[in-house]
Amino acid sequence: MNVLILTGSPKGRKSASFSLASKLAEGLRENDVSVSEEPVHAGLRTEEGTRRLLDAVDGSDLVVLVFPLYVDSLPAPLTRLLELVAERRTRVSSPGTPRLAAIVQCGFPESRQCDTAVGICRLFAERTGMRWAGSLAMGMGGSIGEDIRRLPGGGKNILDALKMTAESLATGGAIPVEATTLFAGPLMPIWLYTSIGNLGWRMQLRKNKSRRPLTYRPYSQG
Amino acid sequence: MKALVLDGSREGDSLTPVAVLGMTSALAGRVDTVELFKLRELAIAPCAGCFGCWTRTPGECVIEDGARDVLRSYVGSDIVAYVTPLTFGGYSSQLKKMLDRFIPLLDPRFTVVDGEVHHLLRYRRYPKTIGLGTLPSPDPEAERLFARLVARNGLNIHQTVESIVLTGVADPESARRSSEKFLDRAGVTA
Repeated sequence: MNVLILTGSPKGRKSASFSLASKLAEGLRENDVSVSEEPVHAGLRTEEGTRRLLDAVDGSDLVVLVFPLYVDSLPAPLTRLLELVAERRTRVSSPGTPRLAAIVQCGFPESRQCDTAVGICRLFAERTGMRWAGSLAMGMGGSIGEDIRRLPGGGKNILDALKMTAESLATGGAIPVEATTLFAGPLMPIWLYTSIGNLGWRMQLRKNKSRRPLTYRPYSQG
Repeated sequence: MKALVLDGSREGDSLTPVAVLGMTSALAGRVDTVELFKLRELAIAPCAGCFGCWTRTPGECVIEDGARDVLRSYVGSDIVAYVTPLTFGGYSSQLKKMLDRFIPLLDPRFTVVDGEVHHLLRYRRYPKTIGLGTLPSPDPEAERLFARLVARNGLNIHQTVESIVLTGVADPESARRSSEKFLDRAGVTA
């Protein structure tokens, strides 16, 4: 089985999406699955990279999209890739029926804020003749960073959910409901997450020695 | 009154330009100025996810490109219309590349809107937002998803936002009539 993991964060290896994708890849490889990982933003910058991404989708039995929530849906470059994949699949006589799964994380505390993005991925699968293999969605993605193990409790729920997901996907199954539920659980109380976040923005502003206040309005409203 | 129309049509898309014409024409009868941005003709880089617009140059993206003109126009508008081909129930990549760059319009600090966490607003007022999608033929599932997406985007700017989907729209006049009805429903009056 060939699995392609497409990461949709512009931050590449320094992103929460990359951390999640790497853990999933690790779990899949432990289950004797061949895995390739491709960053979408970097790939779409050139024609050759775009062709490579499309060929990689064509050659996969399972495609997993891993991305941050941007404005309630997928980041623009990942949307572009879906458009290109759809176009290519209409031009090919037998495009195959790979499976598609999605892993979404958002910076808001509530995992349900990812629902529209998951809906778009599922509809993409249905409309392009791919088979939907389920999703994982989590809130508080801002706390993941580059190492899931630094999360409260060592990120156990997230790591367990990814392990269960890898085991099921590797044997042709869908993402288990149990994994989806575990993954969606809050990492800390909402008040704590938002308090840390609010403090963090101010600290970063100070660290960056910005001359503007956080509330600066560069554009006039007349 | 000023309206801003964001044209998210893709290359080879025959429906959305017709919807843009219809909406622009309908808005022209209700506001003093309509400004139109055909997004696929603008050089707009994808959001880099760096949060520089919150923590380095608050209110302004660190990337200097066509997105700045759109944001300036947005802040000075009373109405903004997103016009897009439905892309699996979502926006086209052309519209999305701009919407991803809307983050500097918000203040990064968290607040609660309709029982869930969102960001504070940076500006005193935001244009009334409406969403207009196009489809070659009816697709109830995609239409429901689009309505939900547009409504959720409204929460980000603490607004109730309405949307409509035009299916198989072929001529600007019928697109204008549909847009007029939609603007009436959305409460966009002269």
